[in-house]
Amino acid sequence: MERFGEHYLEERKLVKRWSGPIPALVSLLLTLTVFYATWWIFQDPRGLMRMYTPYIGYMYCRWWLIMMIWMVYIFDFWPFKRKWLETAHPLVKGTVLTLISVAILLALVKGFFEGFLGNYGLAYFNPEQLEKLDGITSFFAAEYSALAILMFAAIASWLSPAWVVAMENAPWNKMPQPARGFSILTITFFLSTIVYFVTMHPHMGILYHPWQYFTSIAPPYWEKFADTVSGNFHVSWIMCCTVVVWLVETIWERYPFNLIKNNWLRRFATFFGIILIALAMHFFLYFAQELTWGEAIRGTRRAFSPDWRWLHVGEMAIFFLVPALFLAFYCDNWPKKFSMPVNVATRTIVCLVAAVVLYIAYYKTSHLFLGTQKGFSHPQQFPMIPTIWLINIWLAHHWFMDNWPAWKMVPKTAHEIEADHNAARARIDDIRFTPKFVTGIGAGLAIGVLFYVVTVWALPGLYEIIDIIPKN
Amino acid sequence: MSEKLKRRDFLKGAITGTGIGVLGAMGAYSYSGARKALFSKAERNMTDIGTCKSVKVTNISETSWFDNQTLVGDIKGAGGLLVDQYSYNWAPFGNGTGLGKGSYADGIAMIKQYLPHDLDKAWEIAQANSVNPDNAGGYSCLLEVEELDGNKRKFLLDSGWSYKWMDECFKREGIDKMLENREIEALFISHEHFDHYWGLPVTMKYDPTITIYIPEGFYPEGKQYIKDAGHTGKLIEVKNGLCKQIPGMASYVFPIPIICRVYGEQSLYFNIKDKGLVSVTGCCHQGIIRFAETAYKEIKYENDQCHGIYGGLHISPFDDWDPKYDDLVISLERYGFERIGCNHCTGVLCAKKFISAGYPVIEGTARFRSKDKAYLGNGDTITFG
Ligand SMILES: [Fe+2]
Ligand SMILES: [Fe+2]
Repeated sequence: MERFGEHYLEERKLVKRWSGPIPALVSLLLTLTVFYATWWIFQDPRGLMRMYTPYIGYMYCRWWLIMMIWMVYIFDFWPFKRKWLETAHPLVKGTVLTLISVAILLALVKGFFEGFLGNYGLAYFNPEQLEKLDGITSFFAAEYSALAILMFAAIASWLSPAWVVAMENAPWNKMPQPARGFSILTITFFLSTIVYFVTMHPHMGILYHPWQYFTSIAPPYWEKFADTVSGNFHVSWIMCCTVVVWLVETIWERYPFNLIKNNWLRRFATFFGIILIALAMHFFLYFAQELTWGEAIRGTRRAFSPDWRWLHVGEMAIFFLVPALFLAFYCDNWPKKFSMPVNVATRTIVCLVAAVVLYIAYYKTSHLFLGTQKGFSHPQQFPMIPTIWLINIWLAHHWFMDNWPAWKMVPKTAHEIEADHNAARARIDDIRFTPKFVTGIGAGLAIGVLFYVVTVWALPGLYEIIDIIPKN
Repeated sequence: MSEKLKRRDFLKGAITGTGIGVLGAMGAYSYSGARKALFSKAERNMTDIGTCKSVKVTNISETSWFDNQTLVGDIKGAGGLLVDQYSYNWAPFGNGTGLGKGSYADGIAMIKQYLPHDLDKAWEIAQANSVNPDNAGGYSCLLEVEELDGNKRKFLLDSGWSYKWMDECFKREGIDKMLENREIEALFISHEHFDHYWGLPVTMKYDPTITIYIPEGFYPEGKQYIKDAGHTGKLIEVKNGLCKQIPGMASYVFPIPIICRVYGEQSLYFNIKDKGLVSVTGCCHQGIIRFAETAYKEIKYENDQCHGIYGGLHISPFDDWDPKYDDLVISLERYGFERIGCNHCTGVLCAKKFISAGYPVIEGTARFRSKDKAYLGNGDTITFG
């Protein structure tokens, strides 16, 4: 039976063409070059297509990410045959698969959201429908509808991979492609729609005057809790979910959820564990802003407004994802030589440090070359767009092009695959619930809480020293 | 089990536990009510800026552009809200190459020789080379401050955009004569935006010696324009933060990034005897609540009362909307302003929302191309105190 790309990513062996860190550096340089060239062509406000308006560019950027997740994670490269994936030149594969992802992207945005939903269901998905309303200029009509479509994307970019990573494709994991792909696509799209209706739809419902009491809950139910009526409150935790899904999948190797032996328990624990971890990030990163910049004041604009603070939580989270993916894609998920918890902790610390460095570098310099504005809170400052754009390029490069040219793809032999599985099992078996392990956990809990307390105590002073952008 | 293995098990457990402990603490404490104990109560500086008797504002022009659709169409066509304002090819810096392809250097080269003495000619050239030049209007107002002893002092805030429109407005309100007679002490530029700043030569035409205050953060083109517009007087670049001007009047520079590649805005505070604080702004890109909160933190004012507002509040300049603006409409109540004279980039939609929320919005007369009586229009005046 044709397997298409099922387990293709695990069953390919990427062989470095040069030793040491050279392949990673070459790939970084190469992808950054492609990033900058395509940024200029598509996004840059000074460039050719200037899609960074910002929402139009943002919408395509987010959905393109999901298209690749659909093709690779949900459909296992179906309908492409395994033979082709293994033998076609990476440049050919990269071109063909990228073009297909873009074609689906356009069909989805133009055909499904704007054309179908926007004309027959919810007017706010279609700019042309919005323009018919009194006082709405065509620019904002396009921005509003892009906003609605991209808010949907934010949810889908969490749920689509979550079903594969956390739910392990169950209960369709034994089904052949494309039946499995369609099943997972249906369930994740369905869940995304429900989440959309209870998180983002009320935001769209008060975007117009008068508030659309008839069709959405106005003011939105989260007003008191979030200190804002803006849907950015949800953008925040949903972004954190997206980031955590990928952390779990890459640098965390699904630890510690993979210790759970019962299949369904493990799946649900992972699925909801991701949400809980995301919520912890969501609240902490908001708190971190209060500690460094001061309490938010409702009704202000920009850096002091709760709605922007929530958005910025999502922005901070994405800075964490960039180094994590780089580590996983180009550094072979270094380090691997210790036990799983030590490896996971080392990677997490490395990524945290890298995220902070990237964050500082981004806000200090990006306006000099991206055509964006200086400052944290400019209404058109969306660090998620360039970071996700870069991530998209990495995904295309890593998934579609086997890290060409710094690596060469060789299919693993049956023997090697077997060895991989054994090694994975051994890593899990290496964690035993001995009395020492349990005392270790107890001690760790105390250390963790202490670490949190120290962080909270030190954060204002640390920020003061770094002073990324001189304050008023 | 060997000691070494036991130690390794302990280590694995400890690392796992640390992760859980950190995440648990993050989730449990970070957004709990208990965290608020850590925030220091806002310390008030209570800087004394003195008091004045009254301030009268004459709205010279608040109509920065006449048609939203045209302006927003230009912005969209040029690549959105981040594009450098000097590259739009808007008047007076048009170079004839079309939307989004202009530059300050090209534009100014065509008109520099006529600045500031022959603005009709300069604008005529600009009209021929720019995109939608007749959509340009401008923002500018006259401030007459009465000191406690009855002495009156005049200042200008901003100089608008279109040479043609602003010259008309200056004449309508007699600003031309006041400038020629050197009655106006200084010109405050709120920020570098086209609609507040590009009409600078109109002020220069009548008084090139006037003292100009600009906020920190102008781009090189903007600074060059002051020279190119024929200014011969004193230029003061105001640093971020509070700057006392005369008794009862201070400016405040906010270092904030603004659309169309502009950075920093300067706004004015007045402390009116027995009444309280009056805020006068160009666009108020920093936000009216931040402006009021800053006053609360920084300066001392009569009765600790926010009395009035004049100017653009930059809420929905293009009649666009976002739920975060509802946050503002809902929260403004807490500040207790007694007279709200808003216009310009506040947006008619927002003024209407203010009125339906029951705020004391001072209505206007909708003359001289101002669009709606919901707010103070061109030629209208408001006196605080
Ligand atoms: Fe303005
Ligand atoms: Fe402005």
